Amino acid sequence: MLTERLARVRAAIAGFVYGLTGYEFARHALEMRHEMETVFMVVTMGDLVGVPVLPPIYSLRLLPYVVPEVATWKRHVARPREFWDKDEYDLHGL
Amino acid sequence: MNTLLAVIIGAVTVYLAYTLYARRIDRHVIQSDPKRATPATLYMDGVDFMPTNRNILFGYHFKSIAAAGPIVGAIVAASLWGWLPAIIWLVLGVSFIGWASDYSAIVISVRNEGNSLSAIAHRLVSPRARTILFIFIFFYLLLVAGAFVGIMATVLESQPRTQLGVIVLTVMGLLLGQMLYRWRMGLVGATVLTVGVTMLAILGGAWTEEIFKSLNTGLNNLAGGAPIVTYFDPTLANFKGADAKIMPSLLFWALAICAFCYAGSVLPIWRMAQPVVYVGFWLTATAMVLGLVGAAAASFVKPEVAQFVIPAFKGFNPQLGPAGIMPLWPMLFVTIACGAISGWHALFGAVGTARQIENEADMLPVGGGSMLTEFLLGLLALLAVSVGAKGAPVGAFATGLGGFISVWGVPIQYATSLAFAAFIVIVLVVTQLLFRVQRVTLSEWLGDVIPPVRNQHVASLVSIALAILLVLTGTWVYLWQLFGGANQLMAALSLLLVTVWLSSVGKNWLYAGLPAVFMYVTTLASLLVTAYNIYVNVYQPNMAAGRVIPVIGSGLMVLVALLLVAAAVIIGIDGWRAFQRYRHRPVQQPRPAAVRV
Repeated sequence: MLTERLARVRAAIAGFVYGLTGYEFARHALEMRHEMETVFMVVTMGDLVGVPVLPPIYSLRLLPYVVPEVATWKRHVARPREFWDKDEYDLHGL
Repeated sequence: MNTLLAVIIGAVTVYLAYTLYARRIDRHVIQSDPKRATPATLYMDGVDFMPTNRNILFGYHFKSIAAAGPIVGAIVAASLWGWLPAIIWLVLGVSFIGWASDYSAIVISVRNEGNSLSAIAHRLVSPRARTILFIFIFFYLLLVAGAFVGIMATVLESQPRTQLGVIVLTVMGLLLGQMLYRWRMGLVGATVLTVGVTMLAILGGAWTEEIFKSLNTGLNNLAGGAPIVTYFDPTLANFKGADAKIMPSLLFWALAICAFCYAGSVLPIWRMAQPVVYVGFWLTATAMVLGLVGAAAASFVKPEVAQFVIPAFKGFNPQLGPAGIMPLWPMLFVTIACGAISGWHALFGAVGTARQIENEADMLPVGGGSMLTEFLLGLLALLAVSVGAKGAPVGAFATGLGGFISVWGVPIQYATSLAFAAFIVIVLVVTQLLFRVQRVTLSEWLGDVIPPVRNQHVASLVSIALAILLVLTGTWVYLWQLFGGANQLMAALSLLLVTVWLSSVGKNWLYAGLPAVFMYVTTLASLLVTAYNIYVNVYQPNMAAGRVIPVIGSGLMVLVALLLVAAAVIIGIDGWRAFQRYRHRPVQQPRPAAVRV
């Protein structure tokens, strides 16, 4: 009982410290990956945004790799956003 | 009064505010439902909308809101009115208003599909509310940037011992970015190296003190010891006012700060801004944690650093300058800004944090809990300045915090160096981010009308030049109070928006509505008082002396204050109309909430 409680407290503290320190790097790495994915998607899957950029043969060959990401990717790029969205998380401490 | 008692008061405040009030509002008014799907789970995109564990989000949100704001405000307020009014406002402010503002901003965003406050204001209040919020953001950034650059240049120039630490911090920040994102090194090893080296440079600052003193002397000798600009500063001569002189060395350090901020503004975020903030975070967190625990332990271990030495109360209307007024109400309530309540938390909590809330039950611990923890940071700053009482407010803060850290056996001169460096670093890293967001705001606002400001270099330089113009009035206390007014007014507007929303969905709006009215009236009054003070204490004396730059700077400050008042009146009228509209409308039944599976 006590061991379980201690483990929970330790996990909570570990999570808090991770949130204070490494989490922002993880988030930023994700953002960078999504930016590259967006470029990749637009170049290879132009049809998704109504712009046939490359011959469909490439799209078809890449499609199996892209399908799992399409839903979340579309949500990310199609969302209306504030102009400061990109910088907001960096404005610490005011 | 001693520090142990103050720490106990702080802990009891946090406990009571959270368990007796905040939880009650969460359960009975907001009725947070762990089974209701949040935007993070509904619209997960792997980047912005991302369900995140509450402990991680608590750490992330706390780090995002806690830095220079709560520290500077408490220092200034204690030096103007004494520690007693400051501690009373910190306790009451965070208990009844501060947590409610941060928490409600997250709630309203979570219940409105993760929309930002401005988007919700556009829908619920009026289309122009969004534009007005935008004006607030721009001037808010301008004011706080001016206040921070002013105080930073003064402290850096007068403390040659800390200059090596700041230079090494910049280099280590750049190195950390390279190590993490280019060399793909582990975070722990890179942290140990960069933070360790920076810490050594800060503690070893005494060895380079003479070198930097010689540099300052050499710079001043270049101009034959003559000042570059002379202006009337009402905060000098024990707040009676006197002529202040900007020497070449001060200008050099102000320009060095601007160069640092310019690089932070235009370089990719991973290259400089983010890693510098990260290294700075470890330094300040170390000083703050050692200081807070040291403040509690000092009564037993080192009682001589635990006793308050500044007066408890200095009067309802202390003198600041030859003319003008500084009444406790409304000025105290904007001078202590972020430690009690902050509009900026609400504005960005609604965008950044709300979209990562995994479960509605997490909204209170993350939003309210972070604000209550930030209150402890403001309290620590107040304790430090209350026991320090040596020299100017920032010096008193560093002396006090150094005393708390010395409880751990650190020699007092090193502990004070660490405290000074912690203050400088925490302000410096925020300032570079301010300019970064300010240039984005400027581009967005004026980009269509003046195309050159779309260029990030032009926008950054214009932002920095405007801030420098404000600094040259020489009165950063007024700048700080204007910033506080804009910040608290934004909090009032966010609470107003929450009130309108609560009214629109048929919930009891009093917990947000009453604080909204209080903060709205208080901040409008404070802006008018500050505008009057600047006019009679800065504009008129400098005009009489024929000093052009201080006249332009102070005139700009008065204009900004009046513009903010006008914008707030318009949004207040729109908000009241929207509130009445929803109050007299039959409550619409909300759509059935999506349920998590």
